[in-house]
Amino acid sequence: MTVVNIKINGKKYSDDIEDRTLLVHFIRDHARLRGTHIGCDTGHCGACTVLLNDRPVKSCQILAVQVDGESIETVESLEGSDGKLSIEQEAFREHFAMQCGYCTSGFLMMTHHLIREYPELSREEIREKLHGNYCMCTGYQQIVDAVQDAQKRHNDKKS
Amino acid sequence: MYPKPLTYRRARTLDEAFSFLSENEDARVIAGGQSIMPMLKLRIASPSLLVDIAPIRELHEIRMEGNEIIIGAMVTHREIIESREIKSNIPMLQETARHIADVQIRNRGTLGGSICEADPSADYTPTLLVLDARVTLKSAKGERTVSLDDFLVGPFEVDIKQGEILTSVIIPVNRSAYSVVKYARRAADFAVASMAALVEKKTDGTVSDIRVAVGAQSDRPLRLRDLESELTGIKPQKRDLHLAVEKAVEGLEPIDDIHGSADYRKEVTSNILKANLGSLIFGGDSK
Ligand SMILES: Cc1cc2nc3c(=O)[nH]c(=O)nc-3n(C[C@H](O)[C@H](O)[C@H](O)COP(=O)(O)OP(=O)(O)OC[C@H]3O[C@@H](n4cnc5c(N)ncnc54)[C@H](O)[C@@H]3O)c2cc1C
Ligand code: FES
Ligand code: FES
Repeated sequence: MTVVNIKINGKKYSDDIEDRTLLVHFIRDHARLRGTHIGCDTGHCGACTVLLNDRPVKSCQILAVQVDGESIETVESLEGSDGKLSIEQEAFREHFAMQCGYCTSGFLMMTHHLIREYPELSREEIREKLHGNYCMCTGYQQIVDAVQDAQKRHNDKKS
Repeated sequence: MYPKPLTYRRARTLDEAFSFLSENEDARVIAGGQSIMPMLKLRIASPSLLVDIAPIRELHEIRMEGNEIIIGAMVTHREIIESREIKSNIPMLQETARHIADVQIRNRGTLGGSICEADPSADYTPTLLVLDARVTLKSAKGERTVSLDDFLVGPFEVDIKQGEILTSVIIPVNRSAYSVVKYARRAADFAVASMAALVEKKTDGTVSDIRVAVGAQSDRPLRLRDLESELTGIKPQKRDLHLAVEKAVEGLEPIDDIHGSADYRKEVTSNILKANLGSLIFGGDSK
């Protein structure tokens, strides 16, 4: 057992956990934030994507003890304190970029990262950056539309 | 899925890591964790102690020493893609890292971890074989440097002893014309066939240096040394190249699995070798 302190969405969570606890289980079961999903549990599908110190990672592929003292952002960080959807969420809603929604939190966190990291991405580049996220429902077209739209909204807001 | 119960230790220095590793017979190193985590969860591996080497600062360095570049074992795929030193001195390695897995895995996975994992279909190893890379291993008892070719033993097997840590990879600077090709069924998959090659030509078109390696075609990535010597010192015609490739591919014994039958893998390998060695030898100077 090890006591870990992990900052999630700006709030500190401290717990005495088994060393084998996965980060995704820490987020879901200890911090009780259920927006991050477990899909494949083998590192392929990206449903568990969160940001670790601003970079996307798959939280099923990391032990919570490995990120003791670090900072995590999950899908719950997107919505404003007033309950307003973020630009990424707005774009996904408007473009109908989800059906069952299981993969959506992973795609949203990737989008959140991509639109800040790159000022512009072609459709081809967006697809390449999303190789690590699977969606069994949409066929991806609407997801690419949504990422492009989120990027435009983000750039407009900045300028 | 949960791994079996285990103890996790964070090493801040190499000496600390050696001492943790010596505490326990079945202790294992964890670097980026991108290969070992699935193994732990599927319980293919169940070490009782995991020693995290990520905090060890010297393992993150990229530096030049004379005509060689030394890359620390903990340097991530992403850092390789972003490094200016690697871009200007061994562009081929940077190109290789771009084909690995996906954004999230590339943020965590490391050069040292990929080499020690020794997946026969992994992307770095054919490139590093062609670059004549060497690896440095350290333990409480001392240090040794061996060629990557000797270090790679078989599928998921390298010449490493309990208590040893791969600390860095040494690569001679190389800006020759190159080609790196990965053929996979789906984006972000491991290769069904892959190749890495470097070619140096004299002004009259004579091949002065050619190095070729293939991945996913055997129990480990291979340099095609017979093909190399057949094409060196001559001005090869297309026919020479095709004959040399066919002979080399004939001798391969690829794995046969759901990602590709052995025959299919050989066919793809033959085609990518002919096309890409062809453009290195006959057309244009660099890619
Ligand atoms: C979904 C997915 C897709 C992938 N796709 C590809 C791909 O297309 N191409 C590709 O090449 N790879 C691919 N990989 C593998 C990926 O590149 C891994 O990051 C890499 O193989 C292992 O690096 P790591 O740092 O994560 O190692 P870890 O998982 O931490 O370690 C791997 C093994 O090496 C040992 N080890 C690690 N570092 C050292 C060291 N310095 N000294 C001694 N022993 C050490 C560990 O004990 C363990 O046995 C993929 C992985 C996943 C999960
Ligand atoms: S649940 Fe983590 S990648 Fe699928
Ligand atoms: S919306 Fe169902 S998996 Fe993507």
